[in-house]
Amino acid sequence: MPWQLPLLVSLVALASGCALTLGTPYVPLYQLPSALRDADATLAGIVVTELRVPRLVLALAAGACLGAAGLVLQEALRNPLAIPEMLGVSSGAAFGVAAPLVLAVSIPAAVQPLLAIGGAVLGGGLTLLAAGLGRSPSAVLLTGAAVAAALQAALLVLMVMADQLDLQLIYRYLLGSLSARTWDDVTGLWPWLLVAAPALVLCAPVLSVLRLGDEDAEALGVRAQRARLAALAIAIVLIAPVTAVCGPVAWVGFLAPHLARRLNPTADAVRWLPWSAAWGAVVVVVADIPARLALAPVETPVGAWTALLGVPAGVALLRSGHRRPAARRRAEGSDAVRSEPSDKGPSPETRGQGHEQESDEAAAAGEAR
Amino acid sequence: MNRRFWALAALVVVCACAELLAGRGLSPAVVWDVLGGGGDATERHVFFQLRLPRLLVALGAGACLGVAGLVLQSALRNPLAGPEVTGVTPGAVLGAVTATALGLAGWESPLAVVVAACAGGCAGAALLWLLAGRGRGDPEQTALHGVLVSAVLGGLTAMVLLVAPGELGSVVQWLVGTTEGRVWQHWHLLWPWALAWGAAAWLLAGPLTLLRCGDELATAAGLSTRRARTSALLCAVALTAGAVAAVGALGFVGLLVPHVAVAVFGSDLRVSLPGAALVGAAVVCGSDAAAQLLSRLLAAALDFGRLTLPVGALTTCLGAALLLVVVRRAPSRTF
Repeated sequence: MPWQLPLLVSLVALASGCALTLGTPYVPLYQLPSALRDADATLAGIVVTELRVPRLVLALAAGACLGAAGLVLQEALRNPLAIPEMLGVSSGAAFGVAAPLVLAVSIPAAVQPLLAIGGAVLGGGLTLLAAGLGRSPSAVLLTGAAVAAALQAALLVLMVMADQLDLQLIYRYLLGSLSARTWDDVTGLWPWLLVAAPALVLCAPVLSVLRLGDEDAEALGVRAQRARLAALAIAIVLIAPVTAVCGPVAWVGFLAPHLARRLNPTADAVRWLPWSAAWGAVVVVVADIPARLALAPVETPVGAWTALLGVPAGVALLRSGHRRPAARRRAEGSDAVRSEPSDKGPSPETRGQGHEQESDEAAAAGEAR
Repeated sequence: MNRRFWALAALVVVCACAELLAGRGLSPAVVWDVLGGGGDATERHVFFQLRLPRLLVALGAGACLGVAGLVLQSALRNPLAGPEVTGVTPGAVLGAVTATALGLAGWESPLAVVVAACAGGCAGAALLWLLAGRGRGDPEQTALHGVLVSAVLGGLTAMVLLVAPGELGSVVQWLVGTTEGRVWQHWHLLWPWALAWGAAAWLLAGPLTLLRCGDELATAAGLSTRRARTSALLCAVALTAGAVAAVGALGFVGLLVPHVAVAVFGSDLRVSLPGAALVGAAVVCGSDAAAQLLSRLLAAALDFGRLTLPVGALTTCLGAALLLVVVRRAPSRTF
């Protein structure tokens, strides 16, 4: 859509303006350049350069990672509901970070993302092993819910053991918080991004082939299972470092890909990937403003706000998916068979190779009628 | 059928004995001594003021959750409808936490907690009902919406806890579900509530069995399906809220106990409803005993005195494993 880019840019600009100026002390917009220039001289300069800018950068980076990872997961599993939270990936990563904190094992900061990755691999791997890769979306989802619940229980055991101060810290962390993050946290994220970004670029075209279904992908020369595993590994590498730094920020990985898809219904995975990352960044930056300012002296975690924003949006998307399957099916049709005119109705083959979810929904709607 | 009941009752008794013996502090010999009327004042206090009410609360809460789950699954004709995935348990937790944070309720006014939990549970169920469109479509869609509703309610609970951070320490045990430190007051609060609503569920057993057969059949047999379903849902919410107010959100008990009960006793609810109560009691009580034993062993092995394993963690892990088995065993999409 033509107005998508201006909308995106203006939203980011507005949210960044709010994030940099509002708060205590209030720095008016015209004073921002001078505050940035002499960073160490004034209070406003220190606050802006040492607290607000890193926080903004972190929010952008984390949102972009989560959005991209969500899209990769959903495309690789061909499941519009494959969310990091639901697959046990986020809970696993959080468990990996919280365990040493409670058990009072001191570890260097560089190891923390590795622990998070270990936990994420554990959670995600358990889910996918238990559910089987090719199963129906809802089976994977329910299995993921079970694994996530088990990991949650392990986390809660840790929380029961922790003392009051640790408990506050862990609880805030578990909800996903950006408060008091500095440049150190941002620089910790860079190496992982450097690994993940080229991998993403490489895997995006494969993803749009995977979308056609395993048999067609094999026929086109893609080893489907191996490609899928690689995509999952990339998603884990994207999610785990972010989780290590700011905790599991909920529902971004669900909201961003759906926004990207809904706004460009005719594109394919290669086009959706940057949009999904951009929308993820927007969601986190926008949600961070009420998280910082809504209950002013108390900071609320950004994850609670994304959950409160994201779940109603998700429900609305799910429900409107019932009513507007035609648009999506047309999109898939043009995906699958480029040469066909896109206004042609869905042919039986394209419907057959579309999402299982959609045919499920159609069947459910038929039963209801 | 009768033999199965006796076997299950025996299992419950075994679990109860294990629960009485498992805790730390008193060795089995001392327990035997106290039962015979001996023991010094401290031992008698531990046994009669701590262990016995804990045992009774675990039994009562387990029975409540089992019955509530079976009633819900029958009324919605949905094998995946447990109180945890229909928004009832998270709603009840939210209600209770909100009431505690606002100062309307606390440990000194337990009745208010139960009422608040009940209101929250009703709100959660109503939210799902609104979203999923009368709750009867596709079981998986309903379960999916239930997961979403639970996420919203969990987020709200988190917000409340952050606004009132002082409560976090006392509430966290309750988010996971534990029978730690339950005393006679909790039991006195739980049993009249459980008895009243359990009796109501028992009266509804016949209509619910008809509802399991499908709406057309039930209507043909002369049942007002709408009224029966509404009262059954009310009953399930009330039972869940009572259990949540007493022990907190024990994961997966209400989802999986009914499956076990139906597998053992068949789908005639007049038989399997008491069966579900027995299974629930046995499961919660047994897991509590196992959790106590495990935390004792772990504390001894790791030399880590603070370690206590809440029973909710154990039931959640157990339930997650069982759910995996159920999902895997099922053909591709019908559960």
